[in-house]
Formats: sequence, structure tokens, C-alpha cells
Amino acid sequence: MRIGSYELKIEKRLALAGWEAAIISIFAIIFALALFSIIFILAEINPLLAYREIFSYAFANPYGLPLTINRFVFILLCTSAFIIPFRAGLWNIGMPGQLYAGALGAFAVLFAFGGKALPPPDLSPAILIPLMLIAAALGGAGLGAIAGFLKGKFNTNEIVVTMIMNFIAFWLVAHMIKEGGPFMNPGGRGESFELPPSVHAPLIMGVPFTVFFALGVAALLYFVFAKTKIGYQIRAHGHSPAAARYAGISPFRISLLVFAIGGAVAGLAGYHYFAAVPGVYKIARTYGYFGDLAFYGIICGLISLGNPLAAIPVALLFGGLSIGGRFVQGKLQIGFGVDYALLGVLMITLVAFQFFYHYKTAWVKTGEKKLDVGVYR
Amino acid sequence: MWEFIARSLEASMIFTFAALGELIDQRSGVLNVGIEGVMLFGATLGFIAAQSTESYLLGFLVGIAIGGLLGFLHGFFSVTLGVDQVVVGMGIWILGFGLTTYIGNPYTGPLGMERIPTILGLSPFFYVGIALVVVSWFVLSKTSLGLRIRSVGENPAVAEVSGIDVTKTRYLCATIGGMLGGLSGAIYSLFYNPVWNYNFLMGWGFIALALVFFSMWNPLILLGGSLLFGTLWQLSLNPQLVLPGVLSRYIWRTIPFVITIGVLLIISTKWFRIRWGAAKPEALGQPYAKE
Repeated sequence: MRIGSYELKIEKRLALAGWEAAIISIFAIIFALALFSIIFILAEINPLLAYREIFSYAFANPYGLPLTINRFVFILLCTSAFIIPFRAGLWNIGMPGQLYAGALGAFAVLFAFGGKALPPPDLSPAILIPLMLIAAALGGAGLGAIAGFLKGKFNTNEIVVTMIMNFIAFWLVAHMIKEGGPFMNPGGRGESFELPPSVHAPLIMGVPFTVFFALGVAALLYFVFAKTKIGYQIRAHGHSPAAARYAGISPFRISLLVFAIGGAVAGLAGYHYFAAVPGVYKIARTYGYFGDLAFYGIICGLISLGNPLAAIPVALLFGGLSIGGRFVQGKLQIGFGVDYALLGVLMITLVAFQFFYHYKTAWVKTGEKKLDVGVYR
Repeated sequence: MWEFIARSLEASMIFTFAALGELIDQRSGVLNVGIEGVMLFGATLGFIAAQSTESYLLGFLVGIAIGGLLGFLHGFFSVTLGVDQVVVGMGIWILGFGLTTYIGNPYTGPLGMERIPTILGLSPFFYVGIALVVVSWFVLSKTSLGLRIRSVGENPAVAEVSGIDVTKTRYLCATIGGMLGGLSGAIYSLFYNPVWNYNFLMGWGFIALALVFFSMWNPLILLGGSLLFGTLWQLSLNPQLVLPGVLSRYIWRTIPFVITIGVLLIISTKWFRIRWGAAKPEALGQPYAKE
């Protein structure tokens, strides 16, 4: 392409420095938000006004900020669940299913301890909350492990399998909480029984303790990938499964491991959303809406290029945007689904920007003799 | 019983159209894992167009057009920009899911138009679908265009040397694949189940994707797979036809998905892989850059 006497040169990147990636990612987000203005303009709303409302509600409003932080914890856990297989070169898009399995695990513990009874029994949080967390992690890990096992053993396409597991888990939740299912609300509504107040997740400054889980998991993952042998093996598998095998790394073990651990983290996200967020404390009738928000984890993981620490600010931003988006939709009378539309626009922008992660572009003045080495097309 | 068979055939055709598009796409070496997104777009915009103009024809045309546009976009990202095709597919799917949720929401509810008449008791799309499958099979395996498409999917470098325009062929297949995906979505929302709802497809596109792997890239086997899964899907909605009162209806809804995983397992076995490995387009999912 050429404009005037300048020509656009495209060159393949040999390596991508961290700061270069960060700049591209920031540009991608800014570009997506600019592109998303079209939605506001079509709804006859000044985009600047809309964004001011979104950000001020999400980050500076006493009601909005806790919501943002809860959403942030959810997205960060889903991102970690995506990143772990991603670093091994595998795609986990089964976070919704894994978090449903986690939620079912946590509620199964309550159910076993008679938490469904009315009036709500006084259960011991010191015993039950750890048990619920373990059950949630195991539930998610179990569902994830199926995809990991099939991938490792039979090389079954993990994208299709994890996605299909989402639908299976979705209908299993419906079976458990609706139409006389074991976890159905005793009031006869098509949602789960409510968490007894005694086992509500403890709040620290108004925020559930799971926020430390999410941050801890991200930090731990960073350490594991950077410093440990297993982290190195996962990365090696991500670069080339064949080469990893020659180096004595079992692809089966890696695949099973990353999907089980990723699933476990997603399971914790399920615990967080359905048993720790103030005001929810049950598997709501509309659990599918929450589950689908887990796909923010894919974008967050891709945009931070699989770096768990870089994912923290991105998850916070996306948490704020989705909460603020939901808020302006009510305040400015826009149709339902602004937060989902944003999800889509962010994703497709990111896809377009993948190009810049792989290629360098520069405007070169033509007419000069240029050495044509390493110049791509 | 007749109604059940007719309904199953209607469901099968949705799988057939979407999966046939994906098959053509993959034959040229382009993998689009986002058919569900293409279908959601075709279904939603087709639904809106039909409802606001009261014309089915316009609804289907809009569905096909948006599908083709998305297929072209997929081609642009993956062929021209050389982005990882899985990432592009995920992008198309999440874009479809996210945007159609927002765009379609004001139209939540039934279509409210007279149903499309059937021909000899069967959906008109049944005849179109059968014809398309046969035509695609013929074009892919018997004509020079088919040879062109297949050679681009097998070995683009060799194809390029023998004078085939790889980029153009891949764009063509990606666009046609998208059009069929969009049409399949429009058939869902205008004929099979004319009601708009939040994220209503619930896995049709992903099952169609699995069907393509299962078909060994042969349209005729694909038709068989679609018929099987259309029937299964219909059964999962009406379990009382075979086993009244056994299991809750939600458990039945998981059956097509469980069987999809079973099918994926079978095609991953060694026996199948020997045949599958030969049928799989060699360059599937790999970007091609002219050196």
C-alpha cells in the first residue's frame, strides 16, 4: 500500500518485547472502545458521556466499585483457567461449564450438610467453607480433566470438547435446580436453595475473601511458569508438542494436568460467583448469563499474551467495563446486552490486532534504494 | 410419528447447511471454529429483516449476506493478515454471541409471521439441502474447481506453482462457507424455531463443526451425520416418544452433546485415524505466505 511517496512496509517480527506487546494491547483496547462508540452513537447517546458514566460508576461509585471488584475476581479466575492450558498451546473455552460444575460441587457440600433445610441451619463456616472450596475446585477439575484426558490420549479437538462440555454442564445445572431437582429452592422457584447466612463467604472491607484467591492464583501461576520445572515443561509443550516429547515430556500428562488445574480454577470462579458475591448466594435462575461472562477470560488471557500478572489490570478494566456497561444500559435507556456487545467488539478488535503482534509496519519513503532482506512481501 | 420424522429432517438440514459450509471452507485449508457465531448473526439479522419487512425472502437474503460478510472477514484475518485461524474463529464466535445479544434483544419473542409452507409434508429446505450436498460432492470431487479447492487445502505452495491463486480460492471458500452458515442460522430462526431468545442456538454450530471432522470431509457422509444428529436433537426435545418418564427433560438435553463427544472419540481411534489422516486437508488451519 502506498500513500504519496511513502510506502507501507510489513516486516515479520522475530521477537516481541514485553513493552511492545503492552503497547499493542493498550492500543487494541483503546481502538475497541472507540469502535464501540458506534453502538452509543446509534443509540443516540454521546459516547464520551457514556464512557464517563461507565468509568465513574465502575471505579468511583460506592455501589459500583464493589460490583466491579467482584466481577474482576470472577474474570481474573476465568482468565487464569484459560491461561494455564493456553501456555501449553491448548484451548480451554470450557470455563462456563467448569464454573457450573464448581458451583454444583459447592452446593453439593451444603446439601450434604443439610443446608437446604428451612429455617436455614447454623453451619460451621470454618469447616464448610473450606469444604465448599475444595468441592468447587474438584468439580471444575473433573470437568476440565475430561477434555485434557481426551486431548492427551486421543488427540481429540479440545475446543469442541470443552465447548460441548459447557452445554452438558449447563443442562446438568438446570436438572439440579429446576423442576424438582435436588438443589431446587424449597419455595418452588426454579433456582437453587439459598446459602445459609452462617456460611456466607467472609467479607474483607466489603469484598469477599476470594479476591485474595484470584490474585494469589495469578501470582502463583506467574512464579510457576517463570521458575519451576513443570512450568517450563508446560511452556515447552506450548512451543512444540513434538519437541517436548523428544525432551522426555509426556504430552498426555501435560494435557491432563493443565486442563485439570485450569478447570479447578474455573470451579473456584463458580464458588465465587454463586456462593461469595454479596446479594447472590444461590445458583440464580439466570445462571447462563453469568456463565457466558466467563468468555471475558478468553479475551483477557489473549490480550495479556498468557501473562498472569499482566492479566490483573486487564481483568480489572474488563470487570469495570462490564459492570459500568450494565449500569449505563439502565441509566441511559439502551437495550439489554451492552456488556455482551462490548465483549464481542473487544474480541474482534483483538483478533485484528494479532497482526501487529506478528508483524512490524513502517511507512518508508520510496525512491530510496532499500536492501530487500527480511522484508516480507 | 410422521411429524417427528419431518421435524427431525428440518433439524438435520440446519446441521447440513452449516456443516457443508464449514466443509467447503476446510477443504481449502481454512478452519472456522466460529460457525456458531456466523449462525447467530444470520439468524438474528435474518429474523429482524423478515419481521420488519414481512418478507421471508429478504430475511434469508440478509442471513446469507451477513454470513458471507463474516466468512469474508474470516478470510481477511486468516488469509491476508495471517492471524492464527483458531483465534479468528473464536473472535467471530464471540463477536456473534456478544453483538447479537445486544442487537436482537428488542426483538425477543416470536416472529409472528405465517409459517413457510411445506412441500409434500417436508420442509422446502430439505430438498435444497439434498441438492446442495450432491452438488458440493460433485464439484469437490469431479470438477476442476473442486481440484483447485482441494489442492489449495492440501499443499498451497504446490498449488501456487501450478498456477492456482491460493488467496482467491481461500477467500471464495471462506465466503461461501460463511453464506451457508448464515443461511443455516436464518433457517433456524425463520423456520425451525421462529422465536428470538438470548443465545438461543445453544451448541448447534459446535455440533456442526464436530460433524465436519466426523465426515472425513465428504459431503455425503456429512449428510448422514447431520440426519443422525438432527434426529438425536429432536429426540432429546421429545424423550417421551421413546422412554416416557425416564430421567428429567434436562438430562435428555445433554444426550446429543454426550454422543458428540462419543463420536469425536471414535474418530480419534487408531482405526479411524488411519483413514482420517489421509482425508484431512494437509494444510488445514495453517496460514499460507508466498515466499
